[in-house]
Amino acid sequence: MNARPVYLHGAATSVGWGDSRRSLTDMIFATVTDALRQSDAHMDAVDSVVIAAHDLIDGRSLSSMVTAPAAGSYLKDEMRVDEDGLVAASFAAARIEAGEARLSVVAAWGRASEGAPDSVSRVGFDPAFEKPLGLQELDISAVRLSAWLARYGDPGDSRAAATAARSMRAGRSPRALRVPSRDSVLAYPLRQAEGPKWADIVVAMIIGAAPSPVRVGGVGHATDLPRPGERDLVGMPALRQSAEMALRGSARGIDSIDLFEIDGMTLVEEALALESLGLAAPGHAFEHYALAENVNRAGGSAAAWCYPAMGLMRLAECFHQLSGTAGATQLDTAPRRAMAIGSSPLGAQTHTAVVLERA
Amino acid sequence: MKDVHMPNDVELITIPGNWNFDYRYFAGETASRFFAELKNSRRIMGTRCGKCRRLLVPARTFCEACYVETVSWEPVGEEGTLEVFTIVAAAFPGMPPPPFVIGYVTLDGADTSIANFIKGVDLSDIHAAGKSLLSRPRVRTVFSAEVQGRITDFHFELI
Repeated sequence: MNARPVYLHGAATSVGWGDSRRSLTDMIFATVTDALRQSDAHMDAVDSVVIAAHDLIDGRSLSSMVTAPAAGSYLKDEMRVDEDGLVAASFAAARIEAGEARLSVVAAWGRASEGAPDSVSRVGFDPAFEKPLGLQELDISAVRLSAWLARYGDPGDSRAAATAARSMRAGRSPRALRVPSRDSVLAYPLRQAEGPKWADIVVAMIIGAAPSPVRVGGVGHATDLPRPGERDLVGMPALRQSAEMALRGSARGIDSIDLFEIDGMTLVEEALALESLGLAAPGHAFEHYALAENVNRAGGSAAAWCYPAMGLMRLAECFHQLSGTAGATQLDTAPRRAMAIGSSPLGAQTHTAVVLERA
Repeated sequence: MKDVHMPNDVELITIPGNWNFDYRYFAGETASRFFAELKNSRRIMGTRCGKCRRLLVPARTFCEACYVETVSWEPVGEEGTLEVFTIVAAAFPGMPPPPFVIGYVTLDGADTSIANFIKGVDLSDIHAAGKSLLSRPRVRTVFSAEVQGRITDFHFELI
């Protein structure tokens, strides 16, 4: 059976912090409605809804009765994933490729202001061996950085340069949070400016079988070993494998990718991904990140961050770039192909990569 | 929409929430034996994969990489190498007051590392401490005076 092509029709992103005027369902409804408007589509034409959310981030079960209908699921073919939003996009694309859906809403959200995402990440660790030590998600990023520093040494000014570049890119992004939010207390060797900008985020995209200027070229997934102590924290093999799988699907090499939008909770994951992908030489991750204009144009996690919306947010940024609608972060020459990479807790164990291309 | 739903005189409501559910995690036979070895013999055990031959620590029933059951139990050395670490700065209930060090140590004979607290580090200067720990120092296992059959029965100290 030949897979049907999958096209992207529109994307909308809502970013805020602690806005008591809107409930979570209000935010979801408004963002999905905006994505439909951007796509010149109506909910009546939608036959598939795939959502990504997290019980503990939401403080509501993923099986909550109220959030899915806010994304338009009433009497629709609906799937819910407790995973990164890019996984939801992958599932939706698969339904369309298989001819089982024609038009799909993909939505992902996380509202950091309602809960304590730092703390809840602790429950993801193994209850016998690691949870008693109090590890949290950001600690794994610090451990990852220690592994890189032990291998390559102090990168000098390039780490600060990468931080500054990321902050500058976030500052010009129209989809960045511009009000104070929550500051995490980062563990050494992380520096405060390398952390995420916690935010309330909803991302919605409309994808379908009808042709549009942007289509899905390839999708890849890969999962690393469960225990951080057993992983190659520097090499990030699951990230590399997911990207290779997506490139094979698009029948393209990595040199053909004009833009990379990579999710990482901190600068560390974003930068080290460049080495994993082969874009930066070993030991030069931060230097490459600082200089590359085609990496995380919207500032990555410095602009806004909350699991599990981020992979879909990266995909939306790719879509905007390919469509020429990125605003102040738009590349001078609209790219022909872009790669979005999403990751899951804990410690970015699971990665999803999607290649988008101009049709 | 705002005009319809939000007259100016309506107070916006925030509803407090809290989850405090109890769980009981079944460690299973393999982890239970691992913890029993800590408690009864004060030694750390691994299990060996019959395919890749790695000695996996902490002991586990199967090798995730090869997807086969492990085949034998073996003790590892009391000393090892601190592979990676972090110096935790955030306070959390039940944890030591920050700063404190958590690291992953590959004990002699093992092929994977195990996480635990790293003690005996001078943390008066965090950056100096971090620089020292990046050299992958040797550490030794130190058991608590009273052991309970938990991962917190031991910690590591710099040699």
